[in-house]
Amino acid sequence: MSERLKKILVILTATIIAFMSLMPFVWMVFASFMKSGEANVYPPKLIPDEFVLTHYITLFTRLNLTGYLINSLVISVGVTFISLIINSMSGYAFAKMAFRGKKHIFNSLLSAMVIPGQVTMLPVFLMLKNMGLINTYWAILIPGMASIFGIFLIKQYALSIPDSLIEAARMDGGTEIQIYWKVILPLCKPILVTLGIFTFMGTWNDFLWPLIVMTDSSMYTLPVALANLMGEHTQDTELMMAGSVITIIPVIVVFLALQKYYIKGIMLGSVKG
Amino acid sequence: MASVKLENITKFYESKIPAVDKASFDINDKEFVVLVGPSGCGKSTTLRMIAGLEEISSGELYIDDRLVNDVSPKDRDIAMVFQNYALYPHMTVYENMAFGLKLRKVDKNEIKKRVMNAAEILGIVDYLERKPKALSGGQRQRVAVGRAIVRQPKVFLFDEPLSNLDAKLRVQMRTEISKLHKRLQATIVYVTHDQTEAMTMGDRIVVMKDGLIQQIDSPLNLYNFPNNKFVAGFIGSPAMNFIEGKITDSGRLQFVTKNGSVTMNLGESFSFLKKAAGKEVTLGIRPEDILCDQTESESLQLLRCNLDVVEPMGNEIFVYTAIEDQPIIARLVTQDLPTVGMPYNLYLRLNKLHFFEKETGNAIRG
Repeated sequence: MSERLKKILVILTATIIAFMSLMPFVWMVFASFMKSGEANVYPPKLIPDEFVLTHYITLFTRLNLTGYLINSLVISVGVTFISLIINSMSGYAFAKMAFRGKKHIFNSLLSAMVIPGQVTMLPVFLMLKNMGLINTYWAILIPGMASIFGIFLIKQYALSIPDSLIEAARMDGGTEIQIYWKVILPLCKPILVTLGIFTFMGTWNDFLWPLIVMTDSSMYTLPVALANLMGEHTQDTELMMAGSVITIIPVIVVFLALQKYYIKGIMLGSVKG
Repeated sequence: MASVKLENITKFYESKIPAVDKASFDINDKEFVVLVGPSGCGKSTTLRMIAGLEEISSGELYIDDRLVNDVSPKDRDIAMVFQNYALYPHMTVYENMAFGLKLRKVDKNEIKKRVMNAAEILGIVDYLERKPKALSGGQRQRVAVGRAIVRQPKVFLFDEPLSNLDAKLRVQMRTEISKLHKRLQATIVYVTHDQTEAMTMGDRIVVMKDGLIQQIDSPLNLYNFPNNKFVAGFIGSPAMNFIEGKITDSGRLQFVTKNGSVTMNLGESFSFLKKAAGKEVTLGIRPEDILCDQTESESLQLLRCNLDVVEPMGNEIFVYTAIEDQPIIARLVTQDLPTVGMPYNLYLRLNKLHFFEKETGNAIRG
């Protein structure tokens, strides 16, 4: 087989796969602009006869999507920032500081990673309930404040920072907090961005946990609200699609804005910085 | 500027054997002291204890007569230049140099003045806006030195600052640091494993081995009067030749090699060796104290040998031979290239012989 043909085949396959994975999204966007009922006709349509914004208007007026959007934003941004700070502090400490029992604590953290999230759901729920935090943002913020995976990721990255850099900062007169803030954090930027995207997407898309701890409908996050809508408006495909579009837009925006660093972070993990 | 005083400084890591054992010495104001020794001798540990980066297990450290054992590095008023430069990669050269001052809340104009001044001294004014990764090794090392200068510390510490540079640059930076020392009138403690650096830069040299200080002296005194066999072999390149043998005193004081193939008559000036008569000793002679022809003015010892290797260096020739399987290097100033394998006459300068006790390695002197 000639090189040229090979290349054509590869590109063709890639195009088909890209087409197949993109199509549902494209259809989702178009369907969200269709008139009610238009999405369910046979043969199916891709392009709407007429672009209408009715469903978006319904979502934001009658169905109070704004409130859910704010809930989702507060929670996702909050979890991302708090967890980045706590994970990076502990990751840095595990990588570079000397304290008693460091190895044991880290090993027990790592072994805790094999426990599936579902197992801890009930105990965590009960704890939060006893603290009276159910139906507050804290019910999602607190369990999301630190993740073992995040600590591990940052620890591995921080290990590649030379000790002499920290020592130089110490000689330069930096306090431990200043060293962390002005030397370690800027150097960890690629891995922080990667972890930040993971955390943001994970929290934004999370369905089960918000469903458990947010019983009051005013505290719903977007995915929960959307699922709820689905129950009420089963027939209204176009409305559902409009809701889905709004749900994935922030994730796409965050990812596109930070993808440069994201790819760098993943690469750094594999070839060691 | 300031003085530093170490009193019985000892460092234990996890093992029972100390990494540094009872190191005691003074570093005077404006003095350039070099700690030198093979790797693992404790020289870097000593420096890091002065810096405050390692805890002192026992002993006392004074900077300007102030006990600083428990003072944190930032409050000791010292600056350090690291082997791998340790520049902050995310900051520009200017920011790197200004960082320490900013943390100390020095006035902005003052920071600028000091950074510009240091940059001018080091010739890095053009690179101030660059990040470290856009600099060459030599430039990075200058920035690292600059970062220390702007702080105007009491004491400068250098931890093998030139070992990451190539040979040519190393020689250049060596002279620059020496010049800098004169210009700044600074107290400097400098660690290196390279005896050439130690000899050329230091006012005084501290030779260490296995955590113990072997000798503290000026470069030439170390060279001419080494305290023991280790110092004798470590200082000087090529290293001093050692020949095992025995002192005999049967009316005439003589040094006889192990198998008796060479006997040297030792004159009056070696009468102090009488106390070592009958004992096994090691004779030491530097390569440049072996000559290829006789001179009238000096008493020499003839050595007949076969040459194994001849290395012409241009201005001098290194010849390699052996006495009773003990390798000998001679550094000859001649233009006549000797032939390998042919019998050759070498002459040892008798007044330049060193003697060491075989068991302890300590020098035997009058």
